[in-house]
Amino acid sequence: MIDITKLSFSYGKTRLFEDFNLSLPAGQVCLVTGINGVGKSTLLRLMAGVLRPDKGTIRYEAALGADPRRKIGFISDALSLYESLTVAEAIRLHKSVYGLSTFDDSLIRHTKIGSRQKIRELSIGQRTILHLELVLSLDPEVLLIDEIIHSIDAYLRRIFLEQIVQLLSTRRMTVVMVNVNFHDIEHLIERVILLKAGEIAVDETIEDLKAKVKKVSSRSRPDSLYVLSRIDYSDHSDFYVYPFHDGLRQGLEGDVHDLDLTEIVSAFIGGEYA
Amino acid sequence: MDKIRSDLIIQIDAKSAVPAYEQIKRAIKLAVLSGGLKEGERLTTLREMALKLMVNPNTIIKVYDQLENEGFIYSRPGAGYYVRLDRAKSGAARQKLFREVTQDYVAKAVDLGFSSGEMLRELARLTSAGIPGGERKDGCHD
Repeated sequence: MIDITKLSFSYGKTRLFEDFNLSLPAGQVCLVTGINGVGKSTLLRLMAGVLRPDKGTIRYEAALGADPRRKIGFISDALSLYESLTVAEAIRLHKSVYGLSTFDDSLIRHTKIGSRQKIRELSIGQRTILHLELVLSLDPEVLLIDEIIHSIDAYLRRIFLEQIVQLLSTRRMTVVMVNVNFHDIEHLIERVILLKAGEIAVDETIEDLKAKVKKVSSRSRPDSLYVLSRIDYSDHSDFYVYPFHDGLRQGLEGDVHDLDLTEIVSAFIGGEYA
Repeated sequence: MDKIRSDLIIQIDAKSAVPAYEQIKRAIKLAVLSGGLKEGERLTTLREMALKLMVNPNTIIKVYDQLENEGFIYSRPGAGYYVRLDRAKSGAARQKLFREVTQDYVAKAVDLGFSSGEMLRELARLTSAGIPGGERKDGCHD
């Protein structure tokens, strides 16, 4: 569990959060999304303890122990690994810092990472996999994944996600992902949080969200519905509406279409640029 | 030895508002009812199913739990899930599935502009039995 209460945070004069509250129960896989610059990654960094809030508190489950940061895995491209070390040296260092007696390097072996390669010679994808392996060796209760998985290739991305699914199927782990592209994580996510101007604009389970956001293709704007965004074509427009419910189908002009998560988030974000 | 089935193909339509767990459940029910998954056959483990479909393992737990409650499968502690159709329990589900596939068919045919008479004739032709009086092939009456 992560409990964020009355959090305020600014970068210089840019205030990203003020009196921000969010509670994530243990074992939930949650997606945090929103337009660029809204503070998704900052929020993740605050949760990871990399940044400190100006005001407010971030509390973790008591089970995380006296040093909760150890039980929080944070996967991000901004974290520097030990660039000049080889992979084997980095793993050895990691084991001694954290007092680990064993280290499972099966992921690394799957990804053609040589143990004598220098960290700085690895591709972004390989670094991410190595990073994941280091983080997972600490048995994290919470896994925070920044947008990094966008920049790794399809094969490594699959390996990365498979590893997450493996873990979720063996034990309870809270996962927070920051993302704007969802095709392969869509069915892993249980809850979607959309940030807007420092606040939570949408907080829904994936099932509710899919039931409530629809595309209505129509010649005229559906006046009974709240339109998030629209795309105009020569003979009709697509209206992205929220919140929708089945009772609204009655007397509605136009066709109602279901959407996938990418389209849903685009609809919200598109509205903010309009 | 138990046969382990791994070739059951399940497609999740991400665009559908039907929740993923419901889509997976429906696919397994259809497979059980149509004989694609046989009585006594072992289902893919939770972990493998989650990996194969790239869905949250919690979703698969929900699917298997509900399938067990609805009389399609049963669990052997420590050994996994096996197909066992409890006709008393699954009868309603069978009817419901039948209704759903029929609704799909009707909706598509209506979209294409066919009348109910044309649909009935086409159904009769496909089942090569005149309507009325078409017999059920499996001879199963419930």
